[in-house]
Amino acid sequence: MKRVSLMVMSLIFLAVIHLSVFFAGFFSPYDYAAQDRELPYCPPTSIHWVNKEGRPLWHPFVYRWVERAGGQRYQEDQRTPYSIHALTRGAKYTVGGMVTWDRHLFGVDPPARVFLMGSDGYGRDLFSRLLFGGQISLFAGLVATLFTLTFGVILGILAGFYGGWPDAIIMRCVELFLALPWLYLLLALRGLLPLHTSPAQAFLLFIIVIGLVGWARPARLIRGVVLSAKERKHLLAARSFGASDLYLVRCHILPEIRGLLLTQAALLIPQYVLAEVTLSFLGLGVGEPVPSWGGILATLQQYHVLISKWWMFSPGLILIPVILSYGVLSNSLQENRSQVGRWIE
Amino acid sequence: MKVPISMWLLALLLAGSLSSAGFASAKGSTNPQGGGLVPDNQPSAYSGHLVVALRSEPKTLNPVIASDISSREVIGQMTADLIHINRYTQLSESALAKSWKVSSDERRYTLELRHGLRFSDGAPLDADDVVFSFRVYLDEKVNAPQRDSLLVGETPITVRKVDTNTVTFALARPYASAERLFDSVAILPRHLLERAYSEGKLLQAWTLNTPPDRIAGLGPFRFKEYVPGQRLILERNPYYWKQDRSGNRLPYSAEITFLFAGNEDAEVLRFEAGETDIMNRISAANYFVLQQERASRGLQLYDLGPDLEYNFLLFNLNSTLPAGAGEIRRKQQWFNDVRFRQAISSAIDREGMNRIVYHGRGAPIWTHVSPGNRLWFDSSARRPARSLSHSRDLLKAAGFSWRENDGTLIDHRGVPVEFSIITSSSSNERTEMATIIQQDLSELGIRLQVVPLEFHSLLDRVLETHDYEAAVMGLDGGDVDPNSQMNVWLSSGDDHLWNPAEAHPATGWEAEIDRLMRQQMSTSAPRDRKRLYDRVQEIEIEEVPVVFLVSPNLLVGAKDQLRNFKPAILDSHTLWNSEQLFIQDRTGAVR
Amino acid sequence: MIISSALWLYSLPICETYLGPRTPVGQIMRYVAIRFGQAILLLLGISFFAFAFVAVSPGDFFQEMRLNPQISQNTVSRFRTQYGMDQPFLIRYGRWLKSVGHGDLGYSLAYGSPVVPLLLVRARNTLFLTGTAMFLAWLSALSLGVCCAEWSEGWLDRVCLLATSILLVFPELLLGLCFLALAVRTGWFRTGGMVSPGFEDLSPWNQAKDLAAHLFVPALVLSLGSLPVLFRHVRTAMLEVLDSPSIRAARGHGISRHRILFRHALPVALNPIVSLFGLSLASLLSISLLTEVIMSWPGLGPLLLEAVLSRDVYVVIGATMLSALFLVMGSAAADLLLYASDSRIHPEG
Repeated sequence: MKRVSLMVMSLIFLAVIHLSVFFAGFFSPYDYAAQDRELPYCPPTSIHWVNKEGRPLWHPFVYRWVERAGGQRYQEDQRTPYSIHALTRGAKYTVGGMVTWDRHLFGVDPPARVFLMGSDGYGRDLFSRLLFGGQISLFAGLVATLFTLTFGVILGILAGFYGGWPDAIIMRCVELFLALPWLYLLLALRGLLPLHTSPAQAFLLFIIVIGLVGWARPARLIRGVVLSAKERKHLLAARSFGASDLYLVRCHILPEIRGLLLTQAALLIPQYVLAEVTLSFLGLGVGEPVPSWGGILATLQQYHVLISKWWMFSPGLILIPVILSYGVLSNSLQENRSQVGRWIE
Repeated sequence: MKVPISMWLLALLLAGSLSSAGFASAKGSTNPQGGGLVPDNQPSAYSGHLVVALRSEPKTLNPVIASDISSREVIGQMTADLIHINRYTQLSESALAKSWKVSSDERRYTLELRHGLRFSDGAPLDADDVVFSFRVYLDEKVNAPQRDSLLVGETPITVRKVDTNTVTFALARPYASAERLFDSVAILPRHLLERAYSEGKLLQAWTLNTPPDRIAGLGPFRFKEYVPGQRLILERNPYYWKQDRSGNRLPYSAEITFLFAGNEDAEVLRFEAGETDIMNRISAANYFVLQQERASRGLQLYDLGPDLEYNFLLFNLNSTLPAGAGEIRRKQQWFNDVRFRQAISSAIDREGMNRIVYHGRGAPIWTHVSPGNRLWFDSSARRPARSLSHSRDLLKAAGFSWRENDGTLIDHRGVPVEFSIITSSSSNERTEMATIIQQDLSELGIRLQVVPLEFHSLLDRVLETHDYEAAVMGLDGGDVDPNSQMNVWLSSGDDHLWNPAEAHPATGWEAEIDRLMRQQMSTSAPRDRKRLYDRVQEIEIEEVPVVFLVSPNLLVGAKDQLRNFKPAILDSHTLWNSEQLFIQDRTGAVR
Repeated sequence: MIISSALWLYSLPICETYLGPRTPVGQIMRYVAIRFGQAILLLLGISFFAFAFVAVSPGDFFQEMRLNPQISQNTVSRFRTQYGMDQPFLIRYGRWLKSVGHGDLGYSLAYGSPVVPLLLVRARNTLFLTGTAMFLAWLSALSLGVCCAEWSEGWLDRVCLLATSILLVFPELLLGLCFLALAVRTGWFRTGGMVSPGFEDLSPWNQAKDLAAHLFVPALVLSLGSLPVLFRHVRTAMLEVLDSPSIRAARGHGISRHRILFRHALPVALNPIVSLFGLSLASLLSISLLTEVIMSWPGLGPLLLEAVLSRDVYVVIGATMLSALFLVMGSAAADLLLYASDSRIHPEG
């Protein structure tokens, strides 16, 4: 009972995250590309309820940030409060590529800015970029994991089940894929693509490539399990009764690798979401000005950002509960598989 | 035989504006001190060692094949040249050659070597070594990178020995500031390299694994030890020819250790932790961080003003394009219109770029000569401020208009104006500049894509295949003198990036620039040269061959216990006077 | 070298008459021989692909010189000819293969010296680092995984799950940078490199201490990076086994927990773990690339990255071949372990 409610909680949490990312345009006060060159690396705006005389006001409000002398230090200009309004008009955005609207959940009048999570190096609102970035990152993680696991499962089962020549060939291919300098391939790939691939297209291509290259590890693990599962007594018995290969795979092998698969999925999704940090290190991340979680984290490679701009860690902070939720889901699916199976039916 | 008087005037002018009592001579003097400023401080003992970080590993110790920055930095400490450009005053001064005479037709330079010079292994230097060195550099089969800089109008200079201490160089025709040609052309030891050269094995000589006694040079330090991946150590050259005012033989420090740091952030970490003594080329953001820590860590930071590096947005104006590049050809119709380029230049927020990319530690530029180049900067030229309305007027005049519903810019055929900018993915700064340009031009209704490419892919596209539309790149002059930029600004030059190696200049203004550059190369009067070079800069502002963006300031740092530290705009910024540097703590003890 | 190994392969029939194809020893030897042959083919294939990648990617080593206004196009073209870079791909590949036969893996364009000595020194440094890190990671993963599976849902389990989730979120890169920042601020750790300057003058004991001090942060970062994956797999595998009927029966029989864990459960759970171990072995040379770059550890990582970025062809191919060699050996070792651990599987093919 406790486990099921934990699973339900994580499902709800994931749904909330995915929904808010889907409706990123509405929930974010600014466009993800809008630069404010006066406010690079501005810390999060504090929301006040009590003005400086000590009197509470009806609306929460913010003060305008101005630069202090000495470069990139900011202080509040406490002379004028700017109220936070709901359902403000702002930059236009599209939802799901279809509906266009320009109302945002909240906002303030210019020249004040409400940077809930501070701003990045160009003065762009990090909160907005987080929401829009989730679209790319979460999607990328899922797509790449899907590719990897599909290929890995198919080839791993083939290798383990049939053994002999297929096993040898597939395993040598695994080693080939693991040994090749993918660094080079990825670097070269970007140089070969026509210049007019949009950044999102180029990134999708990379993610597919990573997913396709990554099948090697799961395939190896799965093949190992299948090899031993193949020799189990009940399988040999079923075979002697004339069961076809497909039946054996479906009913006897797949359940054996289910645990492995779920663990792999729970591990791969966050790894692929963050693969972009490494890609950005090599200069292959998603292109400007499109945001992504890995790209925001990648700015932390610069020393000055790492030690003083703590708000750039926020994608990591969002990812922790997301990963925990995926982990809980994967655990629950393994442990309650019979219960969940009945529940789904 | 006579020395131009204007040279003297220029020298006196600059000598007056410098704070130290350094001599600035264009002719060369017989002062045995031979250059550099007189050191302010002298140590009590000669036992100290300096620790410096390099951002990449040196690859070789052979001056003939070294092409990367780190190798040249290390080799620069181990070798010396005949006539040296003082990095601080930016003027040439005598080095191994104690004086030189110029013939009346300005085509022959007769150099007299100092007496009693020895290589770091004790072998004596004479004119045969000089002749051998130049023979090696000029040999086409050896293919040394130095060969191209020793060409005067396609013809290499020739060298002839007169007697054991005198050599004569002959130029094909008069060449302005010809003595700058000799800077960083290291004199090689004949006794160690002649055999390898005659056997054709010169290019394999002097690798990092060579035993130290097989390498010799005339620089302040000599090779001691190399540990792969970790460090390279140089020790004091006991036969170094420079002395300080009291007659003590330089260098003051006993050793220099070069550590390998990988990238700038790693270098900052080690500098902050006190593991290195000097840091070169700090980025603006890290400079800010170090400033906070300065007092507690005992560091001194220096902002030397704008560097010689210039960054620009360049358009593909090539006449030869790869097959199937119809799209690019179509867009070249826009790029070739000077009003389009002027409009773009007028729309870019250089101040904002300076603030974002360099944290305000930079200077917007409108020509390739940055304000840091004090000798050649044209301060009187008019530099236009940012104006979007001016851009719109220019675009209207060029036949562009705006679509009603979304404000997209369209040309006279109704095609929306969109193009891509490629940048080097390893340069954060240039990618940031491209992003800022992207945002600025979106206000004009132009949609841009920023495509970071790996550096070699970028070079391939710009220099070889010409398969690109626009690019943001940066170049470093290397030297302040205009002659160092010939290959970039001559239309036939290989580095004439937007249209390399043209057979004929494609436009009238390019022909004019060619004429001016060639003329200044053979003019000797500095005032005339400056006038010609000013005109080149004015043409750059009018015709906008490339859109110049910003120049960064040069930011360096050192421990405050480092004495005689005088960083300069010219490379090597921090170690050009390494023979005078030493570490001394408050008690006066030398480390 | 290759000829001698081929001879050894062909001598196998002779061995067969003595050892026989059906005896266990003969079977294993046969298997090893076949794997060896496959490995040679694989290495050939890898070298071909690596060469092909280089040919496909735009630009070459000498292009960077073009950007220097002091060097002309002619000089650059002559460089290309001098080093044979203007030859077609197959000719260059053929020449390289021929030199491999002599034990020479080519010539570094940047360093102007042979590739093999360049690689060996750094490979040694890398193995030192990754060996330590892998050892630490496996030790912790095995012990924590077994304990958490045994006392699942306990406080240790929850803490470990939370910690590994957090570790998963932070890529090695960021972890390394955080440690470096900590090192600078507090001075507790070294900020990079393998040894301090003046290493040679220290006594052996001090040398060991210095090395350990420099090794600490990179090894910690690497092992923390691999730990979550290993831990999760060990825990899952143990959980599945502990849930199986045979183990429940054993518990019912009253066999002690200790015995169940180590004599009954762990051997069965080993299957995916052994494959993982093989993968760990195989990646000994390649896993630490980025960590070495940030921590300035003088291993293969910085060399390879710089070579890739500057198109120093033979260094890249040499380093790739070295990693591939490790991969093949690790993979073969993993398979052997797999067959040894689970007697039901027999080597086929």
